[in-house]
Amino acid sequence: MLQSIRPKNRVIFAYLVIPVVLYVFSVFVPLMTAGYFSFFEWKGGPNKTFIGLENYVALMKDTIFWRSFSHNIYLVIACIIGQVGIAFVFVMMLSSNLVKLKGIHRTFGFFPSTVAAVSIGFIWTMVYDYKRGILNWVLKLIGKEDIIKVWLNESALVMLLVSIPLIWQFIGYYMVILLSATSSIDKEIIESSQIDGANGFQRAVHIVLPLIKNTLLVCITLCIAGNMKVFDHIYVMTSGGPGYDSMVMALYGYTVSFGQQNMGYGSAISLGIFVISLTVIGGGQLLVTLLSKERGEKA
Amino acid sequence: MVNNKKKSGLSPASKIKNSLLYIVMNTILMVFSLSCIFPLVWMFYSSLKEKREFNADIMGLPKSPSFSNYKAIITNKDYRIFESVINSLRTTLISVILIVIFGFIVGYILSRLKFWGNRLLNLIFLMGLLIPIHSLLVPIYTVFLNTNLNNKWFTLIIPYVAFGLPIAIFLVQGFVKGIPIELEEAAAIDGSSFSRTLFGIIMPICKPILSTVAIVQVFSCWNEFSFALVLMKDRRLWTVPLAMTQFTGQFSSDYTKIMAAMLLTMLPIVVFYFAFSKQIIKGMVAGAVKG
Repeated sequence: MLQSIRPKNRVIFAYLVIPVVLYVFSVFVPLMTAGYFSFFEWKGGPNKTFIGLENYVALMKDTIFWRSFSHNIYLVIACIIGQVGIAFVFVMMLSSNLVKLKGIHRTFGFFPSTVAAVSIGFIWTMVYDYKRGILNWVLKLIGKEDIIKVWLNESALVMLLVSIPLIWQFIGYYMVILLSATSSIDKEIIESSQIDGANGFQRAVHIVLPLIKNTLLVCITLCIAGNMKVFDHIYVMTSGGPGYDSMVMALYGYTVSFGQQNMGYGSAISLGIFVISLTVIGGGQLLVTLLSKERGEKA
Repeated sequence: MVNNKKKSGLSPASKIKNSLLYIVMNTILMVFSLSCIFPLVWMFYSSLKEKREFNADIMGLPKSPSFSNYKAIITNKDYRIFESVINSLRTTLISVILIVIFGFIVGYILSRLKFWGNRLLNLIFLMGLLIPIHSLLVPIYTVFLNTNLNNKWFTLIIPYVAFGLPIAIFLVQGFVKGIPIELEEAAAIDGSSFSRTLFGIIMPICKPILSTVAIVQVFSCWNEFSFALVLMKDRRLWTVPLAMTQFTGQFSSDYTKIMAAMLLTMLPIVVFYFAFSKQIIKGMVAGAVKG
C-alpha cells in the first residue's frame, strides 16, 4: 500500500484498541485466570487454598469426566454419520428431476437449524414425554403399548435419544451447504455419465462424491467443533442424567462449578476441556487438510 | 436414489421403476420437511387448547380455540416474557452492530496496513477460530464476577462481540483482498482521509460480506444460552433462551402454556427467517463454508 495514504500509528491504534481489548478480555484473560484458579481448592467463597496440581491429578482419575468426553465423541460420530450422511443422501435425491417442491424442502429443512437449541430441547422433551409425548402417542396408536416408557430415564437409550434431536436439527443445514457445492458441478459431467450408463448410485459415489469432497470435509470439521461444545440440548432434556449417562464435558464443568460450587476443580476441568477440544478439533482439521490435499486440484 | 436416465420412450419396466422411485423419494423428503415444520404447527394449535383438553388428546385440533394461555403468559408479570424478548432484541442488535463494525475495521486494517504487531494480532484472532469457546464458560464467570461486570444490561454484549469477531475478521479479510488497492490510492489522491475512505468507500463495497456476518451473528446471539446462563442471575435481565428454562421445573406439566410462551418468544426470529429465508440460507452457507 502507498506510504502516502497510510494513516498515522495512533490512528491505527485508536481503531484497534476497543475490539482488541474486548477480545483479549473475553478470551485470553479467562483462560489465564482459569489456569491460576485451577491450582487452588476454592469453593466459590473468599477462602482459597493452594493445592498445586491436585486438581489435575483428580481430573485424570475422574471417570465421570472421561465418560462425558466419550459421550462427546459418541455425538461427533453419530452426527457425522447422521447429519452429513443423511444430508448427502437427500442432496442426491434433490438433484433428481423426479423430486418436486425443492424450494420448500430447502426452506423447511433449514428452519430447525435457526431455532435456539433450548427450544429444540423442549420440543423433543415433549416428544419423549411419558404421559403426553408424541412418541408414546404413536406407539399407542400402532398398538405397541407394551414398550411405552419414560424414555429419557433409560440409561441404555439416553445417548441415542438425545442425539436424534441434534442430528435432526442440522440435517437441513448440511443439506443446503452440500446443495450449493453440487450445484457448481459441471452439468456436462453428469450428462456424459448418464450416456455412459451410470445409474444414480454409481453417479453419487463415483462422480458427485469426489467432486464435493472438500465441502464434505468442511461439513465434518463443523460437525466435530459443534459437538465438542454441545451443552444447551442436553441441559434442557436431561441435565446429563439419568445419573451421568448423558453427561457431556461442558455440562460437567458447569455442574461441578455451579452445582457443587467447586470453582477450583471447575477451572481445572475447563482447562481440560480446552486442551481436549483443541486436540480433537485441531487433529480433525489436520486430517482434513491432509485428505483434501491429496486430490486438491480435483475439488 | 437418483435415477433420471431417460426422458422419453421408456420401457414399461423402467416406467414402473421411475414412478416407484418418484413416490419413495418424494415421500422421504416430504416427511423430513414436514417434521421440520410440524413442531411449530403442533405447538400453535395446541397452545390454543386448555390444559385438560391437551392432556386428553395431544394430537387433536382444539375444539374451542382460545387465547387464554397467551393471556395468562402475557398478564402474569412473573414470567417476564416481554422483558426477555426486549432483552434479547437489545443484546442481539447491539452485539451484531458492534461485530459488523469492529470486524470490518479490524479485518480491513489487518489485511491492508503494515504496522508493528500486525502479525501478532492476526495470529491471536486466527486462534479465536480454533479455540473451543465453550471451555471458557466457567472461567469467564470468575472474571466477570471479579470485575463486577456480571448481571448488567450490557454484560452479554462483551463475550458475544468477542466470540463473533474472529469469524467476522476472517471473512472481511478474505473479501478485502479482492478489492483492488488502486481504489484507495485514487481516493487518497482526491484528498479523501483514511477514515473517509474506510467508511465512505470501502464499507459500501463490503456490504455483501458484512450482511453475511450480520445474518450469522443474529442467530448465534439470539439463540445463545450457556454464557447467558452463567453470567446473568438477575431475572429481569434474562434473555429468551434463559426465560424458557423457568418452565422446566415450575410447571413442566402445563404444556399448553409452555407452548404459548415458546411461540411468543420465537415469533421475532421465525418471522425474520421466513421473510428473508433465501438471503439467510445463502448468508449462513457462505459464513459456514468460508469459515
